[in-house]
Amino acid sequence: MKKKYSLGLIISLLLVFSTACTSQQSQGNEKKKELTFLSNFPSETLDPHLNFTPVRAGISETLIKVDENQELEPWLAESWESKDNGSTWVMKIKEGIHFQNGKKVDAEAVKDSLQRNIEVSEAMKASLKIKSMEADKQILTIITEKPLPQFPSELVHPNTAIIDSKAENIEEKPVGTGPFKIQSFDANSSLKLQKNSNYWDGNVKLDQVTMMFNEDANARTAALQSGDADISYRPALESMEALKKDPAIKTDFVTSLRDQFLLYNFKNELLQDPNVRKAFDVLLDRNEVAQKTLAGQASPAEGPFVPDSLFSPEYAKKEFSIRSAKSYLSKAGIDMKDGKAFNDGKPLSLKVLTYSYRPELPLMAQLLQANAKELGLDIEIQTAENIDEYMAEKDDWDIATYSMISDPRGDAAYFFNAVYMPGGAMNHSNLQNKELTKAIEKLNETVDKAERAKLAKEASAIIDKETLHSFIVHPKNFVAYKDDVLNWETSKSEYYMITKDLDVKTKNQ
Amino acid sequence: MIVKRISEFILFLLILSAVSFVLIQAAPGDPVRSMMKTDDTAISAEQMDSLRKELGLNDPILLQYGKWLIRFFQLDFGHSYMTKQLVIDELLKTFPATLELTFSSLLVMTVIAVPLGTLAALYKGKWQDHLSRIFALAGAAVPSLWLGLLFIQLFSVKLGIFPSMGKGSISHLILPSLTLGIAMAAVYVRILRSSLLESLSQDFIRSAKARGLSNSRIFIHHTFRHSLTPVITIFGISLGSLLGGTVIIEVLFGYPGAGKLVVDAILKRDYPIIQGYILLMGALVCMINILVDLSYRYINPELRIKEANKR
Repeated sequence: MKKKYSLGLIISLLLVFSTACTSQQSQGNEKKKELTFLSNFPSETLDPHLNFTPVRAGISETLIKVDENQELEPWLAESWESKDNGSTWVMKIKEGIHFQNGKKVDAEAVKDSLQRNIEVSEAMKASLKIKSMEADKQILTIITEKPLPQFPSELVHPNTAIIDSKAENIEEKPVGTGPFKIQSFDANSSLKLQKNSNYWDGNVKLDQVTMMFNEDANARTAALQSGDADISYRPALESMEALKKDPAIKTDFVTSLRDQFLLYNFKNELLQDPNVRKAFDVLLDRNEVAQKTLAGQASPAEGPFVPDSLFSPEYAKKEFSIRSAKSYLSKAGIDMKDGKAFNDGKPLSLKVLTYSYRPELPLMAQLLQANAKELGLDIEIQTAENIDEYMAEKDDWDIATYSMISDPRGDAAYFFNAVYMPGGAMNHSNLQNKELTKAIEKLNETVDKAERAKLAKEASAIIDKETLHSFIVHPKNFVAYKDDVLNWETSKSEYYMITKDLDVKTKNQ
Repeated sequence: MIVKRISEFILFLLILSAVSFVLIQAAPGDPVRSMMKTDDTAISAEQMDSLRKELGLNDPILLQYGKWLIRFFQLDFGHSYMTKQLVIDELLKTFPATLELTFSSLLVMTVIAVPLGTLAALYKGKWQDHLSRIFALAGAAVPSLWLGLLFIQLFSVKLGIFPSMGKGSISHLILPSLTLGIAMAAVYVRILRSSLLESLSQDFIRSAKARGLSNSRIFIHHTFRHSLTPVITIFGISLGSLLGGTVIIEVLFGYPGAGKLVVDAILKRDYPIIQGYILLMGALVCMINILVDLSYRYINPELRIKEANKR
């Protein structure tokens, strides 16, 4: 009998043990949802007030964000309004948001974060122009040094991210409000993130994300192919066909907010003549640049903003014609003799400045050089190490192939003020067009959104009419990712990458 | 002797700091443009000028250097313009990675160069010698960047053995070390071969043979040791250039070292970082040279005897 009891006991214990084992095993089988994202943007610090990575990685968030149509939408702020002509801004902060360390996000916390922001970042201090701030529960009133109708758009800038400014080690472990918390950070190498289970805006799908940084496009392609990365941001363009053929990889192309354009030096008397600028405007085939130079990964540009932008007017069709170029040069008084162009009796020769950071720009310069040759125009190409410094310090250039983002934050004021206003940091050739300056000044005084869009359109039309610059193409953002990645969206602004919705397929899905 | 060396070292650092400071400031460029993020925010030239004044960048170079020197004597290298962190912290954060990469590459180089160089010398004119010559030629001709990409394709994409980038484990070090080590080994194989051949024809080797010493004993204790003098001289130079010049490999393999830090600093005109880096590297290269000098005395007994006789 004892034996029977003993046997029963042993069997029961074995059953209990095996059940325990099974349950442990099933827990172990619940694989964590992880993903490795490979970024081309270096990250030497994680201080959100100096670097974009915390917003891109879903660590911190700004008061306002832009949607895919570049329209402003609330993020940590519920609403905002200007009480006057744009120098007093009342921001209502959303209720129920907490930092990743559990502290409440109220107007006082936002005020402290913005205060730190303008203390550590000279760029943000200069662009936000904050004079004073007053916090009352969830209401933050900000007064700017001068009317700043584009203030809400400036708050989209990733460097204005709201963090717990009292937390320690902000440069490596900032405490934000985003869906992911920092586990570890190795500057310019990797960033390990873990899910913020108390995220205020819903369930976070991934458990862990590793963000890696590599500035070599070929290495980014190889990492995706080898399985070291699940998403590769801007892999090598040359690898596009191979990646498209790989059934385990998906590719995504989204027209960016960037312009590749010709910048004219207005300090050169010849280029002050609109006919000369128009001659160069028709000398580049925008379709050829988009299809051949950029391997189809760009769309032809008509103006500084993408065609569906609120700030783009109706443009006349852009032409490419050597004959028209000849005619414009003729109107400008350039003589053509024996296949050579002469200005004031001297053979015409121009210097085109370019830089190699964007490899398509030197190719654009070469294309311009080849087409100009047909007009008898001699073009010398010079590659600058830092084109901004070169243009700011020297006047010996005539045309530059240039690239910049025209509408990073849903407002046209940044581009117009930086590039076309006298004294603007990007107005290298001291371009001054009275009609345009007046239009921009009006834009700088207007708060109403619809009116601002209308004024921006008018300013764009003036730029086009006068051919102040020649906009050639809008390149596309190229992202490749494994087919088990879910909900990846290539954002036009390139501000938002790791989101709460980003996910990977499990075996059952 | 030691006091003399230390005073020479300090004088060297002072001269280096003055020359580099003047050169950095005299070179074209403007850190304010990067600090103000002019490609991203609507900044006016007036605002940029105000920051330039605030940073003292409009002051005469000598005045700027004087201010820097006072801080330097207080062991304050300043703050990075871009990250706002202490320069010394930034350098110390990245330097261990460069050091790791440097030593692992030297290890790879030694493992390849010593046997190949020795075989080439011992079997002069035979297939072993030809093989080492082909390796040396190929190693010198292939650019490191291309070799690195080739290794990534083979070992990461095709075979999936090693990670293609990143830092963390020993496996992350293998591909960058192989890339750097192979390129260096190509040079050392030939240097070691010629040095060994020269040593083999020396009188003391003949007399060792006459004394009836075994070939292996002669080779290890006499020939090889004597051949190391020119190799160590080049080794000292390589160590210095490796510590400062692994940037391409650091970028390709996403390995965050001091080379990458300084190239970024140069591009953004982050003067305090550039100045701090030059001083750190200068001090290191100087120390390496002292060590190389000292090693000669150990390797070559002739030098020790000569010095003793002088005394």
